[in-house]
Amino acid sequence: MFAHVLSVIIFLPIIAGLLLLATPASRNIARFTGMIVSLAALVLSLDLYMGFQSTGHLEFVENIPWIASLGVSYALGVDGISLFILMAGSVLLPMVYFVFATKEKGYYANLLIVQGAMAGAVCAADMILFYIFWEVMLLPVFFMLGLYGGPKRLPATLKITLYTIAGSLLMLAAIVYLGVSYHAQFNEWSFALDKMAQLNLSGRVAAVAFFGFMIAFAIKIPLFPFHTWLPDAYTEAPTATTFVLSAIMAKIGVYGVIRFVVPVFDQEFARFAVLLAYSGVIGMMYCGIAAITQKDFKRMLAFSSASHMGIIALGVFCMNVQALTGSIYQIVAHATSTGVLFLFAGILEERTQTRTISDLGGIAAKAPVFALYFAIAMLASVGLPGTSGFIGEFMIILGAVKFNTAVGVLAGTTLIIGVCYMLWMFQRVFFEKATPKSENFKDFSLIEGLAFLPVIILIIVMGVYPQPFLSKITPSTALQFASAAPVVAQAASATNAHLPELTIEQK
Amino acid sequence: MTNDLMLLMPLIIVGAGAILLMLSSAYQKLTHEMAAYGSALVFAVAFLVQLSACITGNAVLFSGAFNGLLVASSFSKAAGLIILACGFFTAMSSQTYFKQNDFCSPEYYSLTVFAASGMLLLTMAQELITVFIALEIMSLAIYILVGYDRKNVISTEAVLKYLMLGAFAGAFLTMGAAFVYGATGSTKFVKIAQYVAAHGFMQTPALIGGSFFILVAFLFKAAAFPFHAWVVDVYDGASVPVTGYMATGLKTAIFAVFANFLVLDASLQSGWITYLFYIAVFTMFVGNLIAIGQQSLKRMLAASGIVHTGYLLIALVAVSTKDFTGSVIAYYLAAYAASTLGIFCALSYLGGAGEKRSTFDDFKGLAKSRPYSAAAVSVFLLSMAGIPPTAGFMGKFYIITSAIEAGQVTLAVLGIVSSIISMWYYLRLIVNMYFCEAEEQFGEAVPSNLAPICTFVLVVCVFAISLYPVVI
Repeated sequence: MFAHVLSVIIFLPIIAGLLLLATPASRNIARFTGMIVSLAALVLSLDLYMGFQSTGHLEFVENIPWIASLGVSYALGVDGISLFILMAGSVLLPMVYFVFATKEKGYYANLLIVQGAMAGAVCAADMILFYIFWEVMLLPVFFMLGLYGGPKRLPATLKITLYTIAGSLLMLAAIVYLGVSYHAQFNEWSFALDKMAQLNLSGRVAAVAFFGFMIAFAIKIPLFPFHTWLPDAYTEAPTATTFVLSAIMAKIGVYGVIRFVVPVFDQEFARFAVLLAYSGVIGMMYCGIAAITQKDFKRMLAFSSASHMGIIALGVFCMNVQALTGSIYQIVAHATSTGVLFLFAGILEERTQTRTISDLGGIAAKAPVFALYFAIAMLASVGLPGTSGFIGEFMIILGAVKFNTAVGVLAGTTLIIGVCYMLWMFQRVFFEKATPKSENFKDFSLIEGLAFLPVIILIIVMGVYPQPFLSKITPSTALQFASAAPVVAQAASATNAHLPELTIEQK
Repeated sequence: MTNDLMLLMPLIIVGAGAILLMLSSAYQKLTHEMAAYGSALVFAVAFLVQLSACITGNAVLFSGAFNGLLVASSFSKAAGLIILACGFFTAMSSQTYFKQNDFCSPEYYSLTVFAASGMLLLTMAQELITVFIALEIMSLAIYILVGYDRKNVISTEAVLKYLMLGAFAGAFLTMGAAFVYGATGSTKFVKIAQYVAAHGFMQTPALIGGSFFILVAFLFKAAAFPFHAWVVDVYDGASVPVTGYMATGLKTAIFAVFANFLVLDASLQSGWITYLFYIAVFTMFVGNLIAIGQQSLKRMLAASGIVHTGYLLIALVAVSTKDFTGSVIAYYLAAYAASTLGIFCALSYLGGAGEKRSTFDDFKGLAKSRPYSAAAVSVFLLSMAGIPPTAGFMGKFYIITSAIEAGQVTLAVLGIVSSIISMWYYLRLIVNMYFCEAEEQFGEAVPSNLAPICTFVLVVCVFAISLYPVVI
């Protein structure tokens, strides 16, 4: 369409959000501005999606030098990996403005800023630019959580903020270290992402830098044992923030691992992959079991989200094309299922004034449409065949078995825990007898029903006919391994042969 | 000759302006309102002259005209710009501050200009006696400014402390200069460097002792460990605009002369790097420890000033002597000055009459009644904490890059750990302003629009500086 479409997708929401904050706009104006801007971003991203050539390399590249003496530039671009996280954000966020009509101005404004910042982090092709968006992304979350969160919001806000900032500042040191090493090896300053893959790093400092990146991303994902901020933050945050955190921001952590850690630190990554994979599996189990015992359904969803992030992360650590493709697919699936479940939970909380599972019951009879939507999203999150969740989880488990049988088997069996807590919760909330609190539960209005419909359809389409999506992801993921060092390249040559076979299995 | 005079023009303007202001206040021709505008005008004119010199002139060493006493490099010019801007914003915020406080007289403004002339001279000094003179011009004016509120006990205590210790520092400097002169036969930096290059650094005891004394004086003025103890009390006792001025302008001048002194010779620098390394680390962490415990905002900012001195020392350790541009130090100073001045500008009108609001708790719920001021203060705090996209982040980025580039990875990582710790007290104020309910009213009208406008301009500066690319 036009040259700087990515910049517009990034900065349109940010500028709109800042303008809303700076002017004494009413909440209605704020909501409609948010709606229009996020829909505009959606239209632009759809246009981007249609124009995406799936070459595997970065497309829609913008590159303007910024700090010439250090090789820092304003460089943007999308490939098959970032495209889907970008799309997930653009598709899902407009719903919030339709569903939640009575929030403060700052709520909508911060939501806009975080949308732009997340798009920026995903599209950035320069490490410094990435870092800037990565940090900016946290600020709106900080304010939304602290201003509009639940009663115990202050400790939760401080926890998530200090945790994330500590992680990301260490990452900054690692980024600078990479830049300096590049200068030392190639006698030229650069912080461009694609150039870092040529770096030849070894030794203890490289391992330290590797962990500098890994810890920052592990906190964001969150990967076991860095997940302790998550239950409090997800539970206390206002619905839209929880939604943003779980549906998109956590994915940017995974994206960071794919983008920075895998190509640059291939040796360290290969060395620690098993360890990381186990930490993914342990996180899955631990959070899954924790989810079963929760009495608060938002907290239960928080743990379930953490558990699913464990499997997505596992897909990245398995170092083969299937698992990685599965991870990207699962990122979208998880955003559309668990993310939407958080929105449903928000609606449930708003209408019943409770979050305790035992206070609820019999909602299916009162609100059939809501129950149907909830069931579809829930089944997708559980990974039922025919929904989007199945394809991703299947590919990840397939890759995991190839990588390490024990990990694969453990991950596969752990999925059952997810079924347990989800179905049990569904039974208690939607069936059984109606309680005083859920007696007067109102079903979706027409607008709400229509707002959620595209996502529900997307869940099913992605589950039944994944090929168009996979064909956009696979070139990039294949390239990820093709260009890497010998350790991983060996795996890539083996996996390329499996690709056609894999797609047949899907059909 | 004319070229030399042109380069000295800002200094001449500031000096003449200060004398003029002092004379006209002595004859009681000025209200303090007019003195404020007058001093702001002097700063603005000098700033513009300096800026035009920055744009047109290249770095010219005018050793011929001044016999090597002064230097005008791009670094000293940048430092001069920062100092003049600090003076300008201090004058503006003082005007608003003294609408609510009554101990002002027109001489106050002429003293700020005098202090600036000392600072400007300090950035250009290339000779120890000149350094001493410049330092004393600056310090004498600052002593008076700190104790300007004569009826206030805390302020009197502060000035006594600062005067006594500052006098010691000045004595150390002259002592050191004498030792160095005895060892090298010259007080000029260039000659000293030549001597060090020829004879080595550790050979002459007088040289070692002399440099040590000089370093003590500089570290004292820069508020570095272990000479940081005065900072918190003195900053707390001075009035808000003066504190802002000391934290920014004075620090800029000291670091300018510090860098000028160290970059002259590689062996001189390498001789001190080990010590500066530990001093930087201790300065950062001691500053953090002090800041965490504070209840008063001004004391917290004073302690955080110590931490920022630590970051600047990192930059100093990482300075390369070969092609020194000082851009990293100048950039960080500019970034730090913009955010610190901004917060003191905001405090000068938010503090209320007699600085009645001073603790963290006093600012609870500010965002509800003064959303724009609270947002501005948050921007400044985030910049000090080094969160992008503010200038403070870019400053830290340059410092870390130059430190790692110089092989000081440990120092860079420790700097980052320190800035993680500092998040705690910066966030605390933001949390208080935004997430707590108001305990008191912020209803009173702002006495003057100057300080709020300056605050807004500085917010713009914080973002604008972050976009400005720097050559390392």
